[in-house]
Amino acid sequence: MSIEVKDIHFSYGKVKALSGINLHLEEGAIGLLGPNGAGKSTLLRILLGFLFPDKGAGRVLGYDIKDEQHLIRRYVGYMPEDDCFIPGMDAVTFTSYLGELSGMPRQEAMKRAHEVLFYVGLEEGRYRKLETYSVGMKQRLKLAQAIVHDPKLLFLDEPTSSLDPQGRKEILELIKDISSKKDIQVLISSHILSDIESACSYVVILDKGKLAAQGEISKLKEIKYKLYEIKVKGESSGFLQKLKKNGCGVEQTEDMVLKVYMPPSQNPQEIFSIALEEKVQIRHFVKSQTTLEDLFAEAVGVD
Amino acid sequence: MTIKEKGYTHWKGGLEDKKLPWFPITRFGIKSTFKKKFFKIFFFGSLIPALIFLIGIYISERLEDFSSMIQRPEQLLNIDPGYFNSYFTGSFLLFMMVMILIFCGAGLISDDLKHKSLQLYFSRPIKKSHYFLGKASVIFFFLFMVTLVPGLIFIIMKLIFSGSFKFLASYPFLPLSVVGYSFLVTGFFSLYTLFLSSLSKNRRYVAILIFSVYLFSDILFGIFYGIFKDQYFSLLSIQANLQQLGAFIFNQKLRYNPPWFYSFLILFGISLLAAIYLKKKVKGVEIIK
Repeated sequence: MSIEVKDIHFSYGKVKALSGINLHLEEGAIGLLGPNGAGKSTLLRILLGFLFPDKGAGRVLGYDIKDEQHLIRRYVGYMPEDDCFIPGMDAVTFTSYLGELSGMPRQEAMKRAHEVLFYVGLEEGRYRKLETYSVGMKQRLKLAQAIVHDPKLLFLDEPTSSLDPQGRKEILELIKDISSKKDIQVLISSHILSDIESACSYVVILDKGKLAAQGEISKLKEIKYKLYEIKVKGESSGFLQKLKKNGCGVEQTEDMVLKVYMPPSQNPQEIFSIALEEKVQIRHFVKSQTTLEDLFAEAVGVD
Repeated sequence: MTIKEKGYTHWKGGLEDKKLPWFPITRFGIKSTFKKKFFKIFFFGSLIPALIFLIGIYISERLEDFSSMIQRPEQLLNIDPGYFNSYFTGSFLLFMMVMILIFCGAGLISDDLKHKSLQLYFSRPIKKSHYFLGKASVIFFFLFMVTLVPGLIFIIMKLIFSGSFKFLASYPFLPLSVVGYSFLVTGFFSLYTLFLSSLSKNRRYVAILIFSVYLFSDILFGIFYGIFKDQYFSLLSIQANLQQLGAFIFNQKLRYNPPWFYSFLILFGISLLAAIYLKKKVKGVEIIK
């Protein structure tokens, strides 16, 4: 078991960041999903020992998060969200330097630095000063420093942020290669649903510091509710209120499509009955496929 | 097959618990300081007093050869703890040490704060103490080059030039004084510099702070002493406190009226506050409240 946390609480002063988080994560690529401020980065930082939980306990790779951070950091690779580097270095020096700090012998760290820089696609820019790197190159470099010491567990905090579509695709391919082909477990924190969906098999959804949902994406996507896309004509506020009162979740998209999440026990006929009562015309009614986005919307609330 | 086609490959070596986990930090700090413009000029300039004092030691053993050039040479070149004290507490050397601090120390923590690289350090199996030791050792290296190393060379050269151990027998505490004062001044300046370096993300501001705090503390002493004619105001000056402690360690008459331990308490207090602040300030993650 790679990560296990029990009843983790953490606050930044009066602001509660995490509240009663329980996780039991096994091998594979795991997505940590949630809107901004949900507590994803805080959780990663607690797992790394940067932050000390107010309450609760946990283990990463079998090491205690409160007492054995030193050992956790030896076997964990961390790619921070922030744009961070050490000025005055080129990529080879930077990567080998951090490898050395992880406990690699100097010569080995240098050799390995070249290898991982080739792997992430920075072979041509590896002797350039980091100050001259573009955002995309810095993202690759952060991945390179995270894998230089061949970690058993990789924490990636928003690995595709600020990247163009092609850059995102390439980084995701690297992550998939690392997590799927080899025996490295990866925990990806992101608010980009498609990234998680494409790279992970398991997802943990956080919302307002609480665990909103967790499980294998394929199983979570199995219908826990029926999803319908509806377009209506007329005053819809009463219609929406009645749907919510009946236990349905409702989300309105930018193109005025209503996504209705209906409990499985209910009959879709009820939507038409409510529409009739509220004198609303239904112009479009489609049973929709459940995506991670829908799952996310249902988990964190659709309002 | 290229690395990209091969995909990710494992590293076959094993991670080890290093005896000096902080050493890569020091090595990088020293290397990058030597790469800075004008640093070499300042650094070698700061070795000029050492060279002059070394020549003095040589001349002291060859007085007959130089008697025509120097008037009353016995009085001028009396190699004793006072001679060492003159070297170690000389205003020029202390000034050059501050200049070295600006080059080697200003960016030590401020650059890490600016580029958010603390999280890169602390996501590795190194502790805060390793980080501070690695950074402080950069300062130790450069300041030892102008304090401890010349001081020990002076003693060795004096013994070699005189061809006997009489000098050491006369002042057996001198090597300890050299080591003690070198550690004291270097330790204080390390904490002083690291503290100031952690105050700003801009290394230029830090450089100004390192210089101005040292200089203005001395100016303040001068102003108050000019008005009140009380030597206790020497406690306001970093330089005066270091000189006072130097005089005590080298068993010389104190320069100012206040007892030596007042100076010690002031420097110790500044160092302690700096250490407490650094411990709180330097974290793997910056929390914006």
